[in-house]
Amino acid sequence: MKVKLEKFGTTLISRELGSEAFKAFQSTLLELPPNEELEIDFSGVLTLSPSWADEFLSPLLERLDERLILLPSDNLSVQATLKILQEANKRQFKFR
Amino acid sequence: MEEKLLKISEAAEILGVSIDTLRRWDESGKLTAIKKEGGTHRYYRGKDIEIFASNLLKFASDWISQGAEFPGTFYCPTSSAFQGRLVKMERMLMEKPGFEKLYSLIVLVAGEIGDNSFAHNLGKWPDTPGIFFGYDIQKGIIVLADRGLGILETLRRVRPDLSTHVKAVEVAFTEFLSGRAPEKRGNGLKLVREVVLANPIDLFFTSGDAEVHLKGDDKSFRVTRGPNVVRGCMAKINF
Repeated sequence: MKVKLEKFGTTLISRELGSEAFKAFQSTLLELPPNEELEIDFSGVLTLSPSWADEFLSPLLERLDERLILLPSDNLSVQATLKILQEANKRQFKFR
Repeated sequence: MEEKLLKISEAAEILGVSIDTLRRWDESGKLTAIKKEGGTHRYYRGKDIEIFASNLLKFASDWISQGAEFPGTFYCPTSSAFQGRLVKMERMLMEKPGFEKLYSLIVLVAGEIGDNSFAHNLGKWPDTPGIFFGYDIQKGIIVLADRGLGILETLRRVRPDLSTHVKAVEVAFTEFLSGRAPEKRGNGLKLVREVVLANPIDLFFTSGDAEVHLKGDDKSFRVTRGPNVVRGCMAKINF
């Protein structure tokens, strides 16, 4: 299953909205078959902050582990945010 | 050709303040109005309003130190108001030549600092809720400020051993923790530091009497004790 993050907005900044996005995503997550990967597509996102991403991507990583796949992005804020999240969580994301 | 003068109501509209505030500012000399010969009505030159509104750092610092009024156009009472204005700034930055890629890091820095003010002071604002958020894309400046609890008081909830503003600000910018117990992670200011150190972005940040100056080509992170004690937090970003 592929999720386009821009569906949640193109300027993903606040912790509060990150948490809301994660809650809203629960019903979709339930539809993910147990053996299927979840791909996160950052295209269209203009700015991603660590606060938003920590509320959305960190719990996804915890739940899906190896099944969470991040697609490459040339956006500087996406790259910087993913780097710091890996440091904070002491875990690496799996990239395609 | 004679310059067209603005009526007090027009100047109030541009600055986002009431007519009474403009009258008070005129009486105190903060923003002097023009009176036509023999008249009592107040008028303003467009250029004067522009210059007055451009002193972002002064508005922010007078607000957090003395509670002074500032043009309402810079006030974000809620997180969603901030988000809306941040998106507008993002669009303008994207169109600035040379910032086609860098814009997202500047928005990230401003967004994290502004969002921190809301996240850490929600339900705890000592008096005025919300933040000051002013920017001038052409000049390359963004100013953010809040009259919240400040970094020391916020972090003491999870690190009661912290005793000085300097140490608290150092922890906020370098260690992975958060003042919003039981929320474990706080990584925004760490990334702000890394991004500013590695890119052509300058940052001045202050909370209490602690100051961070990250400026120029040869930046290094250090928190120092400044001459003033400020309420809440204030940040100036230059690019």
